[in-house]
Amino acid sequence: MEGLNHIWLIGIQQILDPQTLVFSLIGASILLILVVVIRPSITVSREGKILVFLAFFILPIIAAGIGASEHMASAEQTQFCLSCHIMEPYGRSLYVDDPSYIPAAHFQNHRIPPDQACYTCHTDYAMFGTARAKLEGLHHVYVDWFGTPMNPIRLYHPFKNQVCLHCHAGARSFESPAHMAMMDDLKSNTISCTTSGCHDTFHNVDKLNQLKFWKPLE
Amino acid sequence: MLRKLRISGILLILGLLVEALSLCWNNALSFMSFVVVGGLFFASGILLFLFALVSSKPSALNE
Repeated sequence: MEGLNHIWLIGIQQILDPQTLVFSLIGASILLILVVVIRPSITVSREGKILVFLAFFILPIIAAGIGASEHMASAEQTQFCLSCHIMEPYGRSLYVDDPSYIPAAHFQNHRIPPDQACYTCHTDYAMFGTARAKLEGLHHVYVDWFGTPMNPIRLYHPFKNQVCLHCHAGARSFESPAHMAMMDDLKSNTISCTTSGCHDTFHNVDKLNQLKFWKPLE
Repeated sequence: MLRKLRISGILLILGLLVEALSLCWNNALSFMSFVVVGGLFFASGILLFLFALVSSKPSALNE
């Protein structure tokens, strides 16, 4: 009996998987629209009118909504960020074989999810941080296609300590007397984690040709 | 009314196909095609459908 329940549960999870759901909705919408386009006479009846409203309005809007949400989720993937040519060196810098390189050390040791490496450190964990990150991402794509990207790339705003503290605050490895002594300044961004001389080695893409790289074992 | 409905249906199908295709790849190009091309087809399809609804005479569907 438990095995049967388990199979049901897996089946329901697969149906509720957003990808499956959105493709099913797209398929259903296209089918219903085709029925109306090929046989418009069905719109004469009351049921036909309801079908048209479902096929032409409700289902496509739901499909577009779930599709947009899926795209938003996939925009958090490292692969997505690195799909722009200009970001390639930044992707390579994640494989630098030098633990003093902060992004590389975090990426290689899974201190951040490797498949969301860029997003994890370059989003703002404030209330509208995710929305702001997505809007800035759209701006990046716009500039990459229709404008002239800055060279070298710079952050729009100074890197906020809040991003580091989101994970490190409260961690045992962070509880050193040096960190504790300046905690208030770190929280208020008076002292920067990244530009105060403590942890200041980042992507350094202009020096990549002089560095050794880590090759993960397959 | 029926002509507008047909055009609206074709636009919506194109929008849905663009959405389905864009969901198969995970890169900036597919996202932009979803937003710009798919969004354009979608918006025009739905707006045309709504316009067909409000501009039709009560008896138009029964003709």
